[in-house]
Amino acid sequence: MKKHFLILLLVLIALSLSACTGRRVAATGWSEITLKEDIAYFSYGPQVYALNVKNGAQQWVYPVEAETGVDFYAAPVFADNETQLIVASYDSNLYSINPATGRENWSFTGAENRYIASPLVTEKGIFAPSSDNKLYGVDLNGIPLWEPFETGEPIWASPAWSESCGCIYLASMDHILYAVSPETGSLLWKTEDLGGPIVSQPAVSESGLVIVSTFNNEVVALDEKSHNIKWRFNTPDWAWASPMIDGEQVYISDLSGTFYALELETGNLLWQLQPGGSIVSAPLVQDGQIYFSTDTSSLVVVSTDGVVQRNLPIEGKLYASPASNGDIILLAPYEAEFFLIALNQNGTQIWGYPPAE
Amino acid sequence: MWDTFITLMITVLLFIYDFVGQNFGWAIIIFTVLVRVVTYPLTAKQMKSSKAMQELQGSKKWIDIQKKYKNDKEALAQKQMEIYKEMGISPFGSCLPLLIQFPVIIGLYQAIIRALAVTPIQLVNLSKHISDGANLIPIHSQFWWMDLSEPERLVMFGVAVPVLAILVVITSYIQTKMVTPPTQGTADTGGQGAQMTKAMSLYMPFFMGYLALTFASGLALYFIATNLATIAQYVLTGQADFKNILPKLPARS
Repeated sequence: MKKHFLILLLVLIALSLSACTGRRVAATGWSEITLKEDIAYFSYGPQVYALNVKNGAQQWVYPVEAETGVDFYAAPVFADNETQLIVASYDSNLYSINPATGRENWSFTGAENRYIASPLVTEKGIFAPSSDNKLYGVDLNGIPLWEPFETGEPIWASPAWSESCGCIYLASMDHILYAVSPETGSLLWKTEDLGGPIVSQPAVSESGLVIVSTFNNEVVALDEKSHNIKWRFNTPDWAWASPMIDGEQVYISDLSGTFYALELETGNLLWQLQPGGSIVSAPLVQDGQIYFSTDTSSLVVVSTDGVVQRNLPIEGKLYASPASNGDIILLAPYEAEFFLIALNQNGTQIWGYPPAE
Repeated sequence: MWDTFITLMITVLLFIYDFVGQNFGWAIIIFTVLVRVVTYPLTAKQMKSSKAMQELQGSKKWIDIQKKYKNDKEALAQKQMEIYKEMGISPFGSCLPLLIQFPVIIGLYQAIIRALAVTPIQLVNLSKHISDGANLIPIHSQFWWMDLSEPERLVMFGVAVPVLAILVVITSYIQTKMVTPPTQGTADTGGQGAQMTKAMSLYMPFFMGYLALTFASGLALYFIATNLATIAQYVLTGQADFKNILPKLPARS
């Protein structure tokens, strides 16, 4: 009896502990999608996939054989006139893949911790933020442009490009927004402590506003020229998702599951709704409709004046932003049978990947 | 219910983390010791039951029935139950308190792993457990040479040595030996119980070492802290038997 009890105890310990992490090294994430014409590129676990948007047919997968310790969750980004696809990995490496064949061009191995966010690609180079607190600048061959720019905490947010200042806006978990020179990697200016970590890409308006969501339960808009705070908007919970600028409006959200439309220049509330669940990703705005997802398995479609058009139940949690080529909407559910699904404009599922056996 | 329990554990863990200057390693150690202190009444009961069982197994009466019924397991079991009843000992007296502690151990580990939140999905999950802890984010998982969210290796002379896993094996061995002093019964007289105890005291440390080798090093740190806390409890209550730690050589005939 005692023997059986001890064996059962050992099995229970092993099962319980592995259930806590799902794997030995807890490093999981949600997939992000990049769409180019009829091909969807997305990262999911140990591989990056290229699929035909119309039917879900796999074009290629990188690497062909999954490797232990290599995980991709950031959205792939195009570079070099779309001849390179840059993907950041949890294995601390940045990979350049040929988008036509899925073959590796080069890899940059200079970072010391995992990449959470996608790099920013501009004509000046590729700028990759890392959990090792640093921003790496490399050229189109993966050669470092300058010494990495260091912040006080890990960087989980993709940098944003500002045409008007010709600089990179970099938000860090150290509560600070930095303006960095793409030529030298040096600091141009930085904000004071904004009160909470920032984990999403800042939004830059044509009128010269830089808007960031913070875990200080607020969204802050800064004037690019004066560097002063122009407005602040309080939210009941952590503001995680990137703000999305749409004409004279900006859409923001928080972990309480509230979605807001604000006046871009003043931060005044235009409308808000709370369909339930946390919102961690920026919405998709297309043809006068806003698509946003929640982690309680729904894709909400709203008109730009705040009227809910549809609330589509989806299997799995939706953390990633929806993507669309105009006809088809792609979603990457987490903890679901399919890790990528395609919907038509009526919300009907056309295909799911991987295909059911 | 379970989520509420985990939330409570995470809240206490993060309170300690903040209190000790946002050092997650010390937070794990202090939290583990705290949990051991809180669950001490259960440990004491387990220790008492174990001791009573050991005394019983060393008694002449016990050894005699082992010999007498060694070929009739059913009769042996019946006689053993009679003796348990007569002496007022529950055969599960040492197991039940351990079983009650089991959810605490798992809860503690889950709290440690969930609080570390080194990836977005973990941070989203953590946000559901802490209502107002943005000032603690990101949780600093670095402790001495270790990243507590990853399996630990210390590179020495070009060789990656799993220092924590080795310490887990050593402290688990010492702790197991202290908790389960030698049963007087042999394979013949003590029966399967003695064999089982001996096997467990050897396998258990390696099993714990395997977990420490492959899981996040926060778990290994917890194992070491809890082992040392148990050893300290035995020493402080005067029940530690250091002679039992070294393996005994077979007696010369």
